[in-house]
Amino acid sequence: MATTSAETADFPSPFSIETPAGCEGWEEMYPYWALFDEHRRESDENRLWFWNSQHFPFPMPAFDMVEVDHPYYTLGGWQNRAFAVPPAMGVDYRVVNGYVYISPNPVTDPAKMAERAEYFQKRAGHYFQNWDELYAGWRTKMEALNREVESIHVPDLPEYEPDEVVFGDQNLSNIDLLRAFSHTLRCAEMMWQHHFEFLLLGYGAYLTFAEFVRDALPDIPEQHISQMVAGIDVVLFRADTELRRLARAAIEAGVDGAFVEGRSPAEIDADLADSEEGRRWLDELEQIKDPWFNMGTGDGLYHYYGSWHDDPSIPYASLIGHIDALKAGKEIERPTEELAKERDRLAEEYGALLDEEARPAFQELLGLSRTVFPYVEEHKFYCDYWFQSRFFNKVREFGALLAKHGFIGEGEDIFNLSRHEAMQALEELSLTWSTGGPPLGPHHWPPIVARRKELLERLGEWTPPPALGAMPAAVNDPIVVMLWGITPQRLKEWAGSQEGSQLSGAAASPGEVEGPARVIHGLGDLDTVRPGEILVCTITSPAWAPIFSKIVATVTDIGGIMSHAAIVSREYGLPAVVGTGTATSRISTGQRLRVNGSDGRVTILDEA
Amino acid sequence: MQVRPLSELRSADAAAFGGKSASLGELMAAGIPVPPGFALSSEASLDQAVDRYRELGEPPVAVRSSAVGEDSAEATFAGMQDTYLWVRGADRVRQAVSDCWASLDNPEAVAYRERMGGPPPAMGVTVQVMVDAEISGVMFTCNPVSGDPSVVAVNASWGLGLAVVGGEVTPDEYRVSKVTGEVLQRTIGPKRIEYGPGGERAEVPAARQDVACLDDARLGHLLEVARRVERHFGCHQDIEWAIDREGGLFLLQSRPVTVAPTREAPAGKSAMDLVMKTFGARP
Repeated sequence: MATTSAETADFPSPFSIETPAGCEGWEEMYPYWALFDEHRRESDENRLWFWNSQHFPFPMPAFDMVEVDHPYYTLGGWQNRAFAVPPAMGVDYRVVNGYVYISPNPVTDPAKMAERAEYFQKRAGHYFQNWDELYAGWRTKMEALNREVESIHVPDLPEYEPDEVVFGDQNLSNIDLLRAFSHTLRCAEMMWQHHFEFLLLGYGAYLTFAEFVRDALPDIPEQHISQMVAGIDVVLFRADTELRRLARAAIEAGVDGAFVEGRSPAEIDADLADSEEGRRWLDELEQIKDPWFNMGTGDGLYHYYGSWHDDPSIPYASLIGHIDALKAGKEIERPTEELAKERDRLAEEYGALLDEEARPAFQELLGLSRTVFPYVEEHKFYCDYWFQSRFFNKVREFGALLAKHGFIGEGEDIFNLSRHEAMQALEELSLTWSTGGPPLGPHHWPPIVARRKELLERLGEWTPPPALGAMPAAVNDPIVVMLWGITPQRLKEWAGSQEGSQLSGAAASPGEVEGPARVIHGLGDLDTVRPGEILVCTITSPAWAPIFSKIVATVTDIGGIMSHAAIVSREYGLPAVVGTGTATSRISTGQRLRVNGSDGRVTILDEA
Repeated sequence: MQVRPLSELRSADAAAFGGKSASLGELMAAGIPVPPGFALSSEASLDQAVDRYRELGEPPVAVRSSAVGEDSAEATFAGMQDTYLWVRGADRVRQAVSDCWASLDNPEAVAYRERMGGPPPAMGVTVQVMVDAEISGVMFTCNPVSGDPSVVAVNASWGLGLAVVGGEVTPDEYRVSKVTGEVLQRTIGPKRIEYGPGGERAEVPAARQDVACLDDARLGHLLEVARRVERHFGCHQDIEWAIDREGGLFLLQSRPVTVAPTREAPAGKSAMDLVMKTFGARP
């Protein structure tokens, strides 16, 4: 009975959530399977759903549902069907008012778990034993896939087909167009397949080490655990290493004067292009762009997050910062040798403090964690930044074609069609181009796009509750703990009163600081951040690095101590509290905060 | 020899002089600052005690029992020991030493020994120059609750350690990482009472009650001393310390942590067993 479960649930029933005013009909943006539906009411109302604000902090544009479907069917494929993680099948999702809620499917039958354990041990064991070799192969196939999606040709639809179609046995352009769109989508599925091939195993090995250390040394700060494992020279830091080198080169060549705070990349480029030295420097910059300008400007899962290729203002801001620091006589290199030494010193000292019986397992787990960790850090670059930005740019090419033929107002509008609708539009375009008859698309799609733009804006003002449905008896799904940090403690905090001036989250980077809050809802707000402010956001991306030199602390809604906000904060020595659940909805820009990154507390000191 | 300077004693002297005196001698030998003084064996006489006190120049002293078998890792003789602080003048010293010896026969001590068994009782006495403590407290070379060996846990309050040991104040609590020296936890207690010079009990002025009595530099110093003491004895230590009004740090006592909670090591499990367990693929 619905009413019964609504009364006993600790979170609102997913069926009780009201549609914000003016957002009626939002459901039509999403696939039928993505909705809470009467046919699944009994089971859906009696399980826990939590808002995956870590990956989907904003309402989903229709096209961006590829970033929900593909991950969950590849995650489930590996976890449930390939590795057969004994207690956990895949993760279901539902969309509520545009926001993505997820819920794991547990395995509860002991006999089934035992059966799955056999598969898991054999299959996961193979990966752990051959990790380096398999990971080298993974990098090769990911790079190939990134180049494959970039090289997909999106044909124009000409008045007359070229001779090759007639004399050279080539495909008709409209056939190639449809094939190209399918190919693009199939590449995205492949990326997500690769993405999850190693991820669970990598996180699991690291988590085992972390748990082992926490158990043996309950007082150890979280950041020391990750410090013992984290890579020093990982791909994510390489882009900035190149920028530092180019900053030095600009000074040496005497062209640093072009880098003035407030100038756009285009203005800087124009200035540089005026001199021989400047042009030589620009050539050098060109050489590092592939692959390093594939760094993302956001966390990758929305079409509007591009790469540095699309928005060079982030790397140019870094260049200006590095050049200014160098001219002020400051050291800008990451002290990699010292970082490596400190990492080994920590491992040695903590190892020495352990009992003799515990030491061999500690050493072995540390070794395994260090083996798997490059993947954990680097997959973001290959998948979430490099692939994603190329993929969405490819989709933009199809958008441009649809816009050219009047099916949508502008190329970007394609992201307000689902991938299925985009295919329909391309099919009709293909049809009417070939028949020469009048298309309906130019009448059909524009009003749909206009309504959806309005919906997304309105839904963006709604704050989703952190969880829906029933409080589970136990959280024992290792994947949910691993990927989302959902623990019984966290659920209790969500269920409990979130009134008052205190928020708590995970202590992610030590130190205490006070300052004014700056609440950021998306990448577009980033340039509102002023020096000395405390960044309050749902989640950050390492590509936001330049603003970390302005802010004094970070507070996020979701994320654990391994989240990007945490990693970058430690790198910059800024206090950080992550995973507060509700910071962006409870804090307003301008309020004074005290952030204690050592005990995970955030205090709102006054009203704005 | 029934009376000896503390600095001459070593662990082996515990049988004659008691555990407290012997461990103070060990600390001195390790170069750790301990207030000077002397030790009486269970065979010493009151006259010998007074003579040696006069040689010391008759300063205010602390007179404490140092039972043989006391402060061993097995038993603390908790509460069986006497401590007399700010003892001044030969007569009072004579009385305090005599009281320490007499404490062997008090009913609690008798009952305790009966329960614990062991050899017939003997009592040494430690006489040390008084430290005029501005701050004092206790520290463990591990977390006494969780047993985590990577931290030093410090309790501290204003004045003599009496207030902390006797539970009369809620002291400041600190936890300091042995690995990086970071202060991982800092809980400031409401320190209402302090024992000042001469041992008078007084109310702490309101302005000082909720002020941290240790800063990072002093915690760093305590950490360093704690690590040296732990290394010297080769096991976790429960240490009483005081900082005098000139800022000098002195250790007043160090004894093995008697009931260190042992962390449960996942015995015999390989890394792969543990990873499989994370995924629910092994018990």
